Amino acid sequence: MPSLASWFDHTLNGLIIGNVYALLAVGLALIFGVSNLINFAHGSVYTVGAFIGWAAITYFKTPLPVTLLLVIGGSALLGMAIERIGLRPLANSPRIAPLLATIGISFVLDQLVQLLAGPDPRALPSPLPPWRLQIGGGTIGALDLLIAGIGLVSTGALFGFLRYTRLGWAVRASAQDRDAAQQMGVNIHAVNQAVFAIASALGGLSGLLVGMYYNNISPAMSFQATLKGVVAVVIGGVGNVPGAIAGSLLLGLTESWGVALFGTPYRNLFAFLLLIAILVWRPNGLFGKGRALAPEPLTGTFIAPSKPVVLPRWLWPAVIALLVVLPWLVQPLQQASYVLTTLTNAWLYALLALSLTLVAGTVGLISLGHAGLLAVGAYASALLAIDLGLPVPLAVLFAGFATAALGTLLVYPAFRLRGHYVSIATLGIGEIVALVILNWESLTRGPIGITGVPALALAGTPLDAGPGFYWFALAALLALALLQSRLLRTHLGRVFRAVRDDDVAARSYGVVPNRYKALAFAFGGFAAGIAGGLTAHLYSYINHETFTSQISILAITIVILGGLGNVAGAVIGAVALIGLPELFRVTAEYRMLIYGVTLLLLVRFRPQGLLGTV
Amino acid sequence: MSHPSYARRAFLAASAAFLSLTLAGTAATPAAGEPVLFGVSGPLTGQNAQYGAQWKAGFDLALEEINAKGGVLGRPLAYVFEDSQSDPRQSVAIAQKFVNDPRIAIELGDFSSPASMAASPIYQRAGLVQLGFTNSHPDFTKGGDFIWSPSISQADSQPLLADLAIKTLGLKKVAVLHLNTDWGRTSKDVFVKAAAERGAQVVATEGYQPDEKDFRSTLVRVRDAKPDGIVLISYYADGALIAGQVRATGIDLPLVAVGSVYSPKFIELGGAQVNGVLTNTTFFPEEPRAEVQNFVKRFRAKYNREPDAFNVYAYDAVVLTAAAINAAGKTDRRAIRDALYKIKDVPSVVFGKATFDPQSRRVIGVRSVDLVVRDGKWAVWDGKKTVAAATR
Repeated sequence: MPSLASWFDHTLNGLIIGNVYALLAVGLALIFGVSNLINFAHGSVYTVGAFIGWAAITYFKTPLPVTLLLVIGGSALLGMAIERIGLRPLANSPRIAPLLATIGISFVLDQLVQLLAGPDPRALPSPLPPWRLQIGGGTIGALDLLIAGIGLVSTGALFGFLRYTRLGWAVRASAQDRDAAQQMGVNIHAVNQAVFAIASALGGLSGLLVGMYYNNISPAMSFQATLKGVVAVVIGGVGNVPGAIAGSLLLGLTESWGVALFGTPYRNLFAFLLLIAILVWRPNGLFGKGRALAPEPLTGTFIAPSKPVVLPRWLWPAVIALLVVLPWLVQPLQQASYVLTTLTNAWLYALLALSLTLVAGTVGLISLGHAGLLAVGAYASALLAIDLGLPVPLAVLFAGFATAALGTLLVYPAFRLRGHYVSIATLGIGEIVALVILNWESLTRGPIGITGVPALALAGTPLDAGPGFYWFALAALLALALLQSRLLRTHLGRVFRAVRDDDVAARSYGVVPNRYKALAFAFGGFAAGIAGGLTAHLYSYINHETFTSQISILAITIVILGGLGNVAGAVIGAVALIGLPELFRVTAEYRMLIYGVTLLLLVRFRPQGLLGTV
Repeated sequence: MSHPSYARRAFLAASAAFLSLTLAGTAATPAAGEPVLFGVSGPLTGQNAQYGAQWKAGFDLALEEINAKGGVLGRPLAYVFEDSQSDPRQSVAIAQKFVNDPRIAIELGDFSSPASMAASPIYQRAGLVQLGFTNSHPDFTKGGDFIWSPSISQADSQPLLADLAIKTLGLKKVAVLHLNTDWGRTSKDVFVKAAAERGAQVVATEGYQPDEKDFRSTLVRVRDAKPDGIVLISYYADGALIAGQVRATGIDLPLVAVGSVYSPKFIELGGAQVNGVLTNTTFFPEEPRAEVQNFVKRFRAKYNREPDAFNVYAYDAVVLTAAAINAAGKTDRRAIRDALYKIKDVPSVVFGKATFDPQSRRVIGVRSVDLVVRDGKWAVWDGKKTVAAATR
């Protein structure tokens, strides 16, 4: 147990890092408040801002004030461009489309920075005087004070702007009711653009300052920044700018105290546990008014109904037959097993997408933590096969059940939430799963991971990565896909959609939404668990880094691309998004850039997904 | 997929240009004919992209040299680099692609253990050597007799670090900060054991995530454990971050870091705060050995910057590859595997002379130089005790 003096140091350190998060959180809170959008590109703007500053200092030797102005100006322009090119065309599409667009934009920006500046981390020395102030056991420097100052000043300026200027009123009016504001003559687009400019200027500025703080910037720093910023915003209360600052400080304190009590590996675990606790008990944030969630304008309209594409009935048997005989058809090709492995990967991701499309599309719980279910399935199956010596197919089956049970239990606290809150809660739950796997060493072997996961075998015959595994994965996918599409046409499927579309109406007809959400999660968890189990036996080695949050993002992208709730769409989306990066291999370093642009174009021209929402 | 990859085309163009240059000037018989290819699975995009870029620089330098001297079997040696993002999903697909491509004689990579070890069963089954030259996971080469690794074994190098920290520097109570990855964790376990054998006590171990940037709270914990020195099991970027925050936490203790922090970048990112940091590294450009001097001179001439550890690993891996193919006498995959058992004392920047241990399929024996950061430069340590972070 740390001494009192150390507690003081830990508290100070928590406030210092919270101070750093605050700069990020303010911009995110602003965009969230006005556009009802988690801006996943915010971390990328932060990165771009840091690199603008770095380029200015390195190539033009600009003094600090000029550098700050260049970063603010450049980032504001970037924010306006993001709004104009990426989001405005999506104003009338389902509310989920802009979310996906920001993910695509963040891909593109990160890749551009990496191509222009190189992937190496760069030094960004602070030009401020190196004096340090002794406080307790530690010290604080000029940059700490500058960051705190800029955080406070920008919050004050924003508060004044929102309260006392005409544009500020317009911003708040648009946040409350878009259509009413428009009717009163507010130019919504100008407001949105102004918000993006301000928020991005703050984001870029924080990238520069944080880069100087650590003397380290890299194109890979954006995802972590977005994640921490989002958590801080939710703790403080979405759309609440002063709350975002308080939330950031609290997040910093929680991390620091978590380290103090349990050690460094537990740091993020406490951050995400705090997030879940806040979402469960005070979903409006610590500083929001009232305990209940305000009715979100997007509930029910989050997923816009669209007419699903109706495919001719004879098509499915034909496609299935083709897929079954495919290993023989591609046999003559030199790269036959490469094609089969890529498709096997696609089937495994399609299983994951089936799970997510049911949970997100049919029941309306947009989960951003589905990689966690994959990890649970993979570890369950690997450990059952190794420690208990179960035959692999049986272990995979049990892993499916275990994931169904554990997944439902884990996500249960999120059932009372709606809209974006579900996404953020599941994002946190996904991270918690990864961190528990890292820290629960007696079961999971921690960072060393599980080696020698036995390969899939059926009745003593090993099914290796070639046709055998392909057929097994395809069979599992077809069975679950057929079951799920039958399910959607039954009474149960209608109840699921009723819960999604209007939870009050569903309740008044005697439906208990939580039970149906749990049922959907159990079914979805089963499919995800099977996918995870099969993946473990395909890879033979897994550790806590095998199933990253990038996989959760990929899964939701697949689902939206295929059309929310659409079973065939999930499969087609998986084939497209696993296949495209492989097709783009010839373009080497430009591969992920092209992938991001393709994603953006798809969202722009087909926001309801390839096959439409069911 | 019949298109040549971008990387390959770029490389072929470069080697062709180089060929014509050397043909005009010198008497050496450069390689000619259809190139012998090795496949590389590694990160060119994503979180670890910087390491893939460093590999390329090392590969290209080695190939330039090898091909000017006649290549392998009289043919030029070249590579196909497939971007895996260090993601097992992609490294598995790449493995299938390589094993089906009859032009690929041997495979190098991947970078991270999850990506490499997911691909191992495919290489093993197909009988294509996977040379995981950065894979120090203790179980990596247990994947089968086609799975080899010339990476420095932590079982060899950590006791040397313990020698420096405990025997030379005389530390009695050390705190260890380590990357919480398979590499960092394995290294830490070996180090803790080696430290105990040398009579020192490990008073704190703290594992941190690779994307962590704030270490102040961790350092307060370390301070409270009252060590007389701190050992870092880090890469250069995170090592520099930690060193930079040590002083802000009010700690004046010697810092000893594992050799993988050796990079000009460590000093660039750490600034004045890394002055006094000690390390023992297998590679130091000012070492007088011929292999080192040749490598460093050529690297500086080609890239106009200082090489670092990952450049060297990549360079050495290609030299080993070329030696194995030449020893095999043909590009047959199995013959190349058999040759790996036979090649002895292959010149190596890291090992001096590299020979595989037939049991573990790793290169054994490692030597190291003790270095210190002095006035913003890496220098051979003269044995004078320094107090890291307090020297300024």
